[in-house]
Amino acid sequence: MVAARPVTVASLPGGGHAGRFTAMAAPCEVLVDGVCAQEVRRLTRIVAREVWRIERHWSRYRDDNIVHRINTASGRPVTVDEETARFLDYAQQLYAISDGRFDLSSGVLRRVWRFDGSDRVPTAEQIAEVLPLVGWHRVRWKPPVLTMPAGMEIDFGGIGKEYAVDRALRLVVQQTKAPVLVNCGGDLAVSGARADGSAWQVGVETPESGPAPVIGLPAGAIASSGDTHRFLLKDGVRYPHVLDPRTGQAVLGGPRTISVRAASCTEAGVLATLALLHGAQAQAYLRDSAADARVWW
Amino acid sequence: MQLTPEDKRRALAAATLTLLGGGLPSAQAEDKTWDIDTAVMVYAESDNRVQAVEPVLKGTLNLGAERYFTAKLVVDTLTGASPNGATPASTPQTFAGPSPYTADPNETPLDDRFRDTRFQGLVDYQFPLSDVDTLGFGVNAGTEYDFVSLGGNLRYARDLFQHNTTLSAGLNFESDSIDPVGGIPIPLAVMRVASDSDDDDGIDDDMNGWRDGSSDSKTVTDVVLGWTQVIDPKSLFQMNYSLSASSGYQNDPYKVLSVVGADGEPLRYVYEARPDSRSKNALFMSYKRFVFDRDVTEISYRYMTDDWGIDSHTVDLSYRWYFGTAHYLEPHLRWYSQTAADFYHVALDDGEETLVSEASADTRLAEFDAVTAGIKIGSAVPGRGNWSLRLEYYQQSPKLGGVPTQAADGLSKFDLQPELSAVMLTMGYRFTW
Repeated sequence: MVAARPVTVASLPGGGHAGRFTAMAAPCEVLVDGVCAQEVRRLTRIVAREVWRIERHWSRYRDDNIVHRINTASGRPVTVDEETARFLDYAQQLYAISDGRFDLSSGVLRRVWRFDGSDRVPTAEQIAEVLPLVGWHRVRWKPPVLTMPAGMEIDFGGIGKEYAVDRALRLVVQQTKAPVLVNCGGDLAVSGARADGSAWQVGVETPESGPAPVIGLPAGAIASSGDTHRFLLKDGVRYPHVLDPRTGQAVLGGPRTISVRAASCTEAGVLATLALLHGAQAQAYLRDSAADARVWW
Repeated sequence: MQLTPEDKRRALAAATLTLLGGGLPSAQAEDKTWDIDTAVMVYAESDNRVQAVEPVLKGTLNLGAERYFTAKLVVDTLTGASPNGATPASTPQTFAGPSPYTADPNETPLDDRFRDTRFQGLVDYQFPLSDVDTLGFGVNAGTEYDFVSLGGNLRYARDLFQHNTTLSAGLNFESDSIDPVGGIPIPLAVMRVASDSDDDDGIDDDMNGWRDGSSDSKTVTDVVLGWTQVIDPKSLFQMNYSLSASSGYQNDPYKVLSVVGADGEPLRYVYEARPDSRSKNALFMSYKRFVFDRDVTEISYRYMTDDWGIDSHTVDLSYRWYFGTAHYLEPHLRWYSQTAADFYHVALDDGEETLVSEASADTRLAEFDAVTAGIKIGSAVPGRGNWSLRLEYYQQSPKLGGVPTQAADGLSKFDLQPELSAVMLTMGYRFTW
């Protein structure tokens, strides 16, 4: 049983209030323009409940949810709920669009890739051993039934947080006309421009020191992807935690951080993730995709 | 029809909208893709017998929602010589026809006119009736210079027990018409030798007594019942039963039998005569297993029995070993054995052709064992083109049967059932378009 987590409200230096809670191992924040602290607390509770619900539903660290049932089915078919089905449909389309780069089943690679900052890069044999357990093409997805070979696992971690941001924002805008920003660990979405018509000013965490660059966000969402903290270093080569599920290898030569602005947090997150998976071609990929992005190498 | 980055971005935006419940995407809900399979098979029998080159092009269009349209085109070019059914003799043998051919002493007579180009095409459509029912139908056509085949099929499959069991039923119908060079020979009629012809073009213009019309036809109806069962996460069992009934012209118009004297030397040749109907029953079982969380092994067995007296057994073993990141090596072994048709004769005794109503010396109707051994190498990288290369060796060992009793000693000096071997090389490439 997870201990009940609090929702707090803090006064902001420039006026107004911010609701805060933690979810998915990240600090989360709700900003609402022009309402009192009480109202911020009410709206933050709505957001937090939704984010926590999605976290509980798709966490791979729990043993009472659909992900646990899927990952322990040992090849038996599993009938999934409607929301998971929608997500699996989405993952399947991303797999096709990305030529196999986006793969819900790629988490198994973390068994041999441990990004602890050491120089323990797995050998080709170690990778070859787990690679047969990776690959959406091995999965039989016939909604609402998912059948996966034994030993394979799926993991919504790569995109669940961005989805939670979008879903929570969608819920909260039904409750208020005030402009809202929902931020989970730097992935955020806004309901529209601020009360005075200006854009929200969003600071982006980059690998560089100094003041964070600020991006104006009048509408839509921003998501970032990077490997600032997780990597291996061996013989002068930096192996980022970005792994290509098709080969099991780390994608070398890519940027450190990518921030993408898009209509939804989910879409922005996917674009940032896919760009990182293109390594040295990340910028070309973003340009070809007409993505509104900033890249730090 | 490679997706452009703009297409992909639109597809991503549309998919995300659907996920978030933002209503249906405005443009195409799904991108239609073609799965294209290309292959070329080269087949070569030993002793310069039949050689075949067979390119295959197959495309499956995924229309979304489990609907598939398939089109396939196969071209076969065959050259080389094939046994005409006659036994060897101590003297050269000459056979009539548009281009007469001669067999050397002690050689199995081969008809070197065997040269053909076959075109076959099919279109097929499959779609779900519900979450658990699938219906499919297709039509196919094939042509050769003396042969036209038209067919159609209808199939139904139903999934049970959370898609772990699939039951299926299929019906195939085929209508063939054959229009052999020089017309249809009368079964068991004596083949004229070249010198009997009225003129020197090699064709007997006076067909009285041995030609019977110019064309004939055959129909084949097949019923197939199937059962596929997921046994556990790593294994699958499949069983099919099929009943095939054909009626009409079943002879090979170019095949003859030797009528031999007591010394085993040919007196004359008669055209073969097969029953005008055939019914076959076949049972097929296959077990497939995922091993070491990596490889796939399959074993299958097929039993066939027909009312011509042929019973056959086929055992097939294969193992697909994945090595490296996405490559595999697949050894394959197949063993086949069949009994002879009741009317199979290597040759006939003098006068026997008037006593029997059916006879054929086609070695495909003889008793024989055959072994196929091969290896395949290929790649299976998701999202990219997959290639494969397969090399197989086939060895057929016939068993002598249907030897005419009075001529047995005379025939024993000839190699009546030479072994046949063949090599097959298949190159395949598969990609999404």
